[in-house]
Amino acid sequence: MAGEVLVVAEQVDSQVANVTLELLGEGKKLARKLGSPLSCFVIGHNMEAAVDAVIKAGAEKVYLADHSELAEYKTLHYRRVILDELSSWATPPHTLLMGSTTTGRDLAPRIAAFFETGLTADTIELDIGPYEHTSGIDQTKIGYFPECLYASRPSFGESLKARILGPWKDPQMATIRPGVFAKPEMLTEKPEGVEIKKVVINFQPSDYRITIKETLREIEGKIDITAADVIVAGGYGLGSADGVNLLKDLAACFENSVVGASRKIVDLGWMTYPYQVGQTGKTVRPKIYIACGISGALQHRVGMQKSELIIAINRDPDAPIFSFADQGIVGDVYHVIPEMIKQLQEKNTSKLAELKVK
Amino acid sequence: MNKDLDIYVLIKQVPDTRSKAGVNPDGTIDRAKAGKMLNPFDAFALQGGLNAKKMGGPNSRLFAVTMGPPPAIDILYQALEHGADATCILSDRRLAASDTLATAYALCRTLEYLFKKNGKKADLIFCGLQTTDGDTAQVGPEISERLDFTQVTYCEDFSISDNLLHAKKIIEGGTQLVSAELPALVTIANSYTKLKFKSLRGAQFVQDVKRASKEELAKYVEIIDLDKCEADEMRCGLNGSPTIVSKTWKIGVVGGNCKMHQGKAASELVSEVFKDAVMLKEFVKI
Repeated sequence: MAGEVLVVAEQVDSQVANVTLELLGEGKKLARKLGSPLSCFVIGHNMEAAVDAVIKAGAEKVYLADHSELAEYKTLHYRRVILDELSSWATPPHTLLMGSTTTGRDLAPRIAAFFETGLTADTIELDIGPYEHTSGIDQTKIGYFPECLYASRPSFGESLKARILGPWKDPQMATIRPGVFAKPEMLTEKPEGVEIKKVVINFQPSDYRITIKETLREIEGKIDITAADVIVAGGYGLGSADGVNLLKDLAACFENSVVGASRKIVDLGWMTYPYQVGQTGKTVRPKIYIACGISGALQHRVGMQKSELIIAINRDPDAPIFSFADQGIVGDVYHVIPEMIKQLQEKNTSKLAELKVK
Repeated sequence: MNKDLDIYVLIKQVPDTRSKAGVNPDGTIDRAKAGKMLNPFDAFALQGGLNAKKMGGPNSRLFAVTMGPPPAIDILYQALEHGADATCILSDRRLAASDTLATAYALCRTLEYLFKKNGKKADLIFCGLQTTDGDTAQVGPEISERLDFTQVTYCEDFSISDNLLHAKKIIEGGTQLVSAELPALVTIANSYTKLKFKSLRGAQFVQDVKRASKEELAKYVEIIDLDKCEADEMRCGLNGSPTIVSKTWKIGVVGGNCKMHQGKAASELVSEVFKDAVMLKEFVKI
C-alpha cells in the first residue's frame, strides 16, 4: 500500500496558517486516490487549538512536536524533529506537501536533500496518476508506476505547463503557494478516533547554531493584496518606477483597492515583493483586476486568472494577456490610465449629484 | 578585527528575458537564440559576497562558482570585474537535465574540490534567492543540508562578528533578526544592496586575464568536469535527478473572449470599456 499523504503544518503564534488548511483540503483528494490516510505534522508550542484545526480540516492522523524551543520556526530545530520522526518509519510518506512560504522554502529543500528525493516548487496543480518510464541510461529507473504524485507548474518563459514527477523515491515532495487551492469546509465537530502521535524530540547541540534575536511582525498596516476587491497591477510596460504612481492614482478611485506588480518590476525594484502577483508571488481573486503594461506570461496568469473581471491595457495587440482578459485596450498606459481616472472622477461627480437629488 | 574569511558566491547564467531575442511568435523561448545574462538575483548575492569580504580579515578571499555550458564563463568574468579573486566553472555534458537535487550534488562536489584546493572550507556561501529560469529557490538550502552548514534564507542585510553571521531576514508577515554560526549559507533577497558598478581596475584586470597565457588564465577562471571534482556521474544530470518532466502542454489561448478596444482615442477606448464593464460602478469610490 502506498504511504501516507503528509502535510507539514505551518504556524504563527500557535495558529495554523491558511496554506496548511488549503493543503489538507487538496491532500485529502490525493489520499483518497491512493487509499492512504491523510496525516499532518504539527510543530510548535501550545498547539492544542492547532491540532483541533487540522483535524477539522481533514487530517486523519496527527504527528505532534510540542516544545517551547519550537514556538517559532527555526530551520535546524524543525528539521531535526521532522527528519528524526520520518527516519523512524518503516514506510516513508508517499507524498509530502508544504506551503511555498518563506518557511516552506527554507525547510522543504533541506528535507528533500536529506532523503535525496524530488521536490517540485510552486506547484499549481496536484494529482495522482500512472507513469511508465521506458528508456534512459539508468536501467534501474525503468518500470510502470501506477501511483505517482503529479505536480504541475508553469515552465520557464513559455506558455507551457509542465508535469513533474518522481516515483522512484518516496516521499514525493511539492511546495504550493498560499491561495492556490481553496480552503476546505471545516468540520463543526471533531471526529472521534483521530490518532495524535507525540513525536520524540531529541535536539542535538548542532541544532542550536542558529538563534533568533528578534521577530518583527507587521500586524497593523500589513499589506495583504489577496483581500482587495480591486487590484491595479503594473508590469514592465510601465517603462519606469514613476509609472507606479499612476497605478496608485487609479487604485485610489476605487473602494478596497490596492496596487499589484508583475514579477519583472519587483525584480527591478520598482515595487516590493508583498505586491507581487503570480506563481512566485501572491495568488489573487479580486472582483476587478486591471493589468497595466503586463504582457501576461503564464507565471503571472496563474496568480490572477481567477479574478472576476480582467481589464488589460497593453501597447502590443499580440500580448498574451489579451487571450484571457475580459476587456482589452490596445494603447499606452500613460494615455489610458489618466483618461480612466478622469472618467471615473466624472462618474463620481455625477454619482454625487445623483445622491444629492435623492 | 574578524578572522580571514573564505567566501563563495554561487551564480548562474540564465536566458535574457529583457530583450525580444529568441522569443518565438507564440511566446515560447528559443534557448539557443536567446541572449544570456547573469541571473538578476545572483547580482545581489555577488554584492553580498563583496561586502562580506570587506568584513573579514585582510586575507579574506572571494570565489565565484558556476555550473553550466562553456559560454557561462562570461558571468565568471563579470564576477572578476566586480572583485572576485578567483572563479570556477563546472562544465560537463553529463550534467544535462539536472534537477535541483542533482544540481546541488554537483555543486557540492565542486565546492569540496575547491575547499581542498584552497586549503580551507568555506566560511560563507552566498546564493541568489532563486533563478529567473527555474524559480525554485531550492539549490541553496539543498547545498547547506549536504554540507551541514547553518543557513539564512531571504537575507536582507547582515554583519559578521566572532564567527557569527548576524542577519536580518524576511519571514511570513515581517522580518527577523537571527544569528547563525559560521560556516553558513546565505540566500540574498533582492531588497539587499544593488550590485555596484564594476571598477575600471576590475575591467582592465579582466582584459589582461583574457589575453594572458592559458596557465595564467586558469588561475582566475578554472574549468573543471565531473572527473576532476570526483563526482559520481550516476548522481548527476538525468541519472541523478529524482524528478523528470513527464509531459508539457500548451495553455496559451484560454477563452479568447477578450473584447478588444483599439485604434481610437484613449478617451473613447476608456468610455467603451466602462460601458461594457458594468461591474466597475460598484467599486468606484464616492
